[in-house]
Amino acid sequence: MVTADSNKWGMVVDVDRCTGCQGCVVACQSENNIPINLEEHFNQRRAIQWIRIERYWEGEYPDVKARFIPVMCQHCGNAPCEPVCPVYATYHNNEGMNVQVYNRCIGTRFCANGCPYHVRFFNFWEPEWPESLKNQLNPDVTVRSRGIMEKCSFCVQRIQRSTRESERDNEVLEDGDRGLNPACVNACATNALTFGNFNDPDSKVSKMKEEAMKEGGRGYRLMENLGTDTNVVYLKKVDESVEVTHGH
Amino acid sequence: MIPGDFQPQKPTGTQLAKLGVLGVVLLGVFIGIVLVLTFVISSWLGRPVIFGHDGPDQPIEFPHETHVKELGMDCTFCHRNVEKEAAASVPAAGLCMTCHSAVGDELEGITKMRNLYEDGRSIHWVRVHRVPDHVHFVHEAHIRYFSEKEGIEAQEVCATCHGDVASMDKVQQNRSLKMGDCVNCHKQNNAPTDCATCHY
Repeated sequence: MVTADSNKWGMVVDVDRCTGCQGCVVACQSENNIPINLEEHFNQRRAIQWIRIERYWEGEYPDVKARFIPVMCQHCGNAPCEPVCPVYATYHNNEGMNVQVYNRCIGTRFCANGCPYHVRFFNFWEPEWPESLKNQLNPDVTVRSRGIMEKCSFCVQRIQRSTRESERDNEVLEDGDRGLNPACVNACATNALTFGNFNDPDSKVSKMKEEAMKEGGRGYRLMENLGTDTNVVYLKKVDESVEVTHGH
Repeated sequence: MIPGDFQPQKPTGTQLAKLGVLGVVLLGVFIGIVLVLTFVISSWLGRPVIFGHDGPDQPIEFPHETHVKELGMDCTFCHRNVEKEAAASVPAAGLCMTCHSAVGDELEGITKMRNLYEDGRSIHWVRVHRVPDHVHFVHEAHIRYFSEKEGIEAQEVCATCHGDVASMDKVQQNRSLKMGDCVNCHKQNNAPTDCATCHY
């Protein structure tokens, strides 16, 4: 259970700032030992991207605008992926995170079917890296073998490490600490992503959420009508000149 | 001979041969089953049940007894990261050379170590304690907790899991280090039992 005194990790994504540069995707890929996605993987719809940039075109030629939305695991409060797992390999921990336990997973893929955001990925193959990249693997993250699900973990290894190091050095873990932030947040060139503790009313994300969710604010959450109670808040594009949204 | 009395037939040569082959095959199957069971039980217990109680052979016979008991060195003198980081770390040969450039000339292991050091190569120690890749054990947090709780030095904490390494001829695993072992201890000490504490 998420209690008032525990942390509740969450993210605020400012879509207005996102330039679609894919920096977060690359950072995530290298931080979390995600195997390299080749063209054939994308063609088979089996590419693994814990965070992806969805691209939408707005307007009619010649007045076309590209719109980008970074989508990662929303860490739902009412996660549709959790109750369907027969082995409790995915569950909610007391820090508001949706955790995937690799060693429990047996690969039924029910959770991927349940997820409305398409952010859960199945390892169809044993992960492989070219010889030159073997030494760049992150020792803090498990290399997932064939046959199990994986997804964005909010870089839980960084949260664990920075929490432990702040305890070791008798320091208070600061909001927005670069050691605490997930790799995507650190990599974002335009600060479109902000990570922090929603249970701390003074944290940056709490203030942004409060501001955004006010009447007339820019805040929204992906597929809010599903009642998934996500921990990721999006701030919509400021430019109101273009109304029509086409598919990507 | 009474009429109708049962007279066992003498087995022919081929029958005897078949019986012999069957016997050998069954014996082979039996030995196979025993071997497989030995491996299964060994892997479940995490140590060999028939051979190799002693722990693995190391490339250089490092006597913990001499260094710890006789010379009174701390565990943390060589395993330098144990109070700071996740891995306890095994030192490079350079640390050995701080003393052994001067002492231990007559010993075979020292000569071997010096040669490796001069060639700039590392000693390939055989790892004794190993948890699976999906488990992230952090030495620093455990040492910190126990030394604060019980008010003892870091090196006394080591024995909780590693046993009395100083008296071991060859270093061997002392506890099962399976998940049940970890979780039991975590429960006793009110440590978190959330999966994401160790598995990520």
